[in-house]
Amino acid sequence: MTRLQIVLVRLALLVLMLGAWELLPRNGVVNPRLLPPLGDVLVMLADILGRPAVQEAILVTAAEVIVAFIIAVPVGAAVGVLIAENDYLGEIFKPLLFYVFSIPKSIFLPMFILIMGIGFQQKVAYAAFSTVFVVIMSATAAVESVRADHVLVARSYGATQMQVLTRVYVPSMMPFLLETLRISMIFNFTGVMIAEMYASRTGIGHLIANWGENFQMPQLFAGVILLAAVAIAFNETVRFLEARCSTWRT
Amino acid sequence: MTRPAPATVRWLILLALLVFWELMPRTGLIPELFLPSMTSTLRVLVADWREYAEALMVTLYEVGFAMLIACGFGILAGALVGGLALLRNLLLPVFSSLYAVPIVILYPIFTAWFGIGSESKILFAGVYGFFPVMLSTAAGIRTIDSQLLLAARSMGATLPQQIVRVIIPASIPTVLTGLRLGGALTIIGVVVSEMLTSAAGIGYLVTRYRTILDSAHVFGAILMILLMSILFDLAARAIERRTLTWQTAGRREKETREARPATPVAAPAA
Amino acid sequence: MQHVANLSASRAEPAPAAVAVEGVSHVYDGREGKVPALEDISMTVGAGRFVVIVGPSGCGKTSLLMMMAGLRRQTEGAILCAGRPILDPDPDRVGVVFQEASLFPWLTALDNIEFPLALRRAPREERRRRATEMLNLVGLQGFGARYPHELSGGMKQRVSIARGLVQDPPVLLMDEPFAALDEQTRMTMGHELLRIWSQTGKTVVFITHSLTEAVYLADEVLVMSARPGRIIDRILITLPRPRTYEMMATDVFGRLRDRIWQQIRKAA
Repeated sequence: MTRLQIVLVRLALLVLMLGAWELLPRNGVVNPRLLPPLGDVLVMLADILGRPAVQEAILVTAAEVIVAFIIAVPVGAAVGVLIAENDYLGEIFKPLLFYVFSIPKSIFLPMFILIMGIGFQQKVAYAAFSTVFVVIMSATAAVESVRADHVLVARSYGATQMQVLTRVYVPSMMPFLLETLRISMIFNFTGVMIAEMYASRTGIGHLIANWGENFQMPQLFAGVILLAAVAIAFNETVRFLEARCSTWRT
Repeated sequence: MTRPAPATVRWLILLALLVFWELMPRTGLIPELFLPSMTSTLRVLVADWREYAEALMVTLYEVGFAMLIACGFGILAGALVGGLALLRNLLLPVFSSLYAVPIVILYPIFTAWFGIGSESKILFAGVYGFFPVMLSTAAGIRTIDSQLLLAARSMGATLPQQIVRVIIPASIPTVLTGLRLGGALTIIGVVVSEMLTSAAGIGYLVTRYRTILDSAHVFGAILMILLMSILFDLAARAIERRTLTWQTAGRREKETREARPATPVAAPAA
Repeated sequence: MQHVANLSASRAEPAPAAVAVEGVSHVYDGREGKVPALEDISMTVGAGRFVVIVGPSGCGKTSLLMMMAGLRRQTEGAILCAGRPILDPDPDRVGVVFQEASLFPWLTALDNIEFPLALRRAPREERRRRATEMLNLVGLQGFGARYPHELSGGMKQRVSIARGLVQDPPVLLMDEPFAALDEQTRMTMGHELLRIWSQTGKTVVFITHSLTEAVYLADEVLVMSARPGRIIDRILITLPRPRTYEMMATDVFGRLRDRIWQQIRKAA
């Protein structure tokens, strides 16, 4: 199949799904109270986007996501580089990190609440906490992706420490850095959402949980569509950049 | 001065953590509300073991069924997507895009549809664990050395024989890794959904005791979840190692040389 | 100069053709339309002969071999083995050894050799017996329980050869089997292959890039041109058998190698 055909078939599948979402509830094949027709959901999406309360919630969530990201990424990257560059520290901490990685971070959410309440800083702290480990792991992988023979070649041609850093390390790590950013953002966003859904007075996650509890399905689906669209848009943007930066990778 | 062996340091760190956990609350440097000491946590666990055991049974029941869903559908879908070029080209990029969506925002839909009982947890956690299993299965089948298939064909292997004798054994390592990641995620999915809305299970205990500020009981539940996921991880890794006597040093060397990101199918482990 | 090469292909050949390629052409669909890969190839390989095919990279020699193995279908022409056309892989008539040993990493050496028999549900004892025989033939006594990753490159290729021979096919096709090995191992393996060949009396079609290997192993060398691949020369190697390493230093050996090299340069 050519690229064009693939895109066309994908579009057809999408239209089919969206069409089913619109038509099945409309005709009563599916209970519209459980699955409101797509049209109604989109109307509701426009409606809630106009509400000040929702706009404020979006801003709060965005602020939490951004601040948590700004904290988690540099901290995690620094620790990751340290572990990757220092063999001794690496041998000590890498196995520990693998275990920590497999532990569900959300079980510590109650401790964050007990200590910090349910405000802005608790969301940020929890989200940063739930993100930092994946940043450490990816940063370690990024440093380890620099091939020893490339460093050796650079040194043999008389590259200084600084030149090795800028001319070997940075270009080798570039695709991994973007990959790190992308994956950390997925974790970060999930962290904020869970924290907001669990215990909160504001934020879009809080609204979604509330709509669900009150059985307001059109609002709930509108919120889910909104969040999914934002997440996919961010993810695809970074993937696009990744593809551009890594043309030399086969 | 020689440096102590890394393994020793690891045990020392663990020991220090335990001592810290016991002493900080006892000396009052950290209030018991924030961090109940190890002994008071253990005391609570022993005293109310019946309550914890009942909650654990509910959780394990949900985890078991969720894993069946995640692994069954994950392997099936992964085999189809990995094995058929048409489906792969069509769907794999779509799945990787969808991967960015925090699945937890779907949970309110599950409770609205299936109630707050075990059904909503099982289905939600099943979906949660489905993706890594599917993606690794697809990757496992896709990365099979085509020379092996060619060799089998030259020996007259029929299509069923190729599947049973080459494709399945060759993709087992990647599938097992996917099962481990997916299994870990179903545990997380069950616990998170129990914490959010439910009336039973170990996650429910966490939330109920948090709202009445009973930190020792909260920590008791946390400790059990911790044990559960670590035990699962150990068991899964042991199975991977036993099954893969042939998965070799040489092969691992190749993988590190290619140096992928540490989390090839990293899922938002909440 | 006892064994002067008879360059004019006049020596009488053994009568029945083990492999006959009759007017084979192949065209495949490339990105920019149809690409002619092979053009009107005809050749016969007499039973028990050792024939080596050389040619520039991408000339289609591997494709030709895959067609002889029934792994790929040519656009035109026929390939016969023992008088009957090859349409699908037929391990009873043709065994194949690939460049990478292509051993199944989850099976032991012995299980790998047994694999073709297991596919045909041969009885367990017979499989064991046959595979052990082959293991001994290739000089790997005592290594049957090892997994591929526990074997050296040369040992892996020995297992691969044993696997190719386990069903006792009259013809063995080999696609650059020693290309991934180091020079010393390669020489040893060539010598071993000749021993196995003379012990079993198989017909061998062997692809290589190494001219030394070609002259050392072959009864005759076929030179293929660049794409579309045609056979542009057929050189009989009349060095006596058994071949020895010392022959490589002789003038005859050098002249033969030089003649092949000239042909390939023209062909590329």
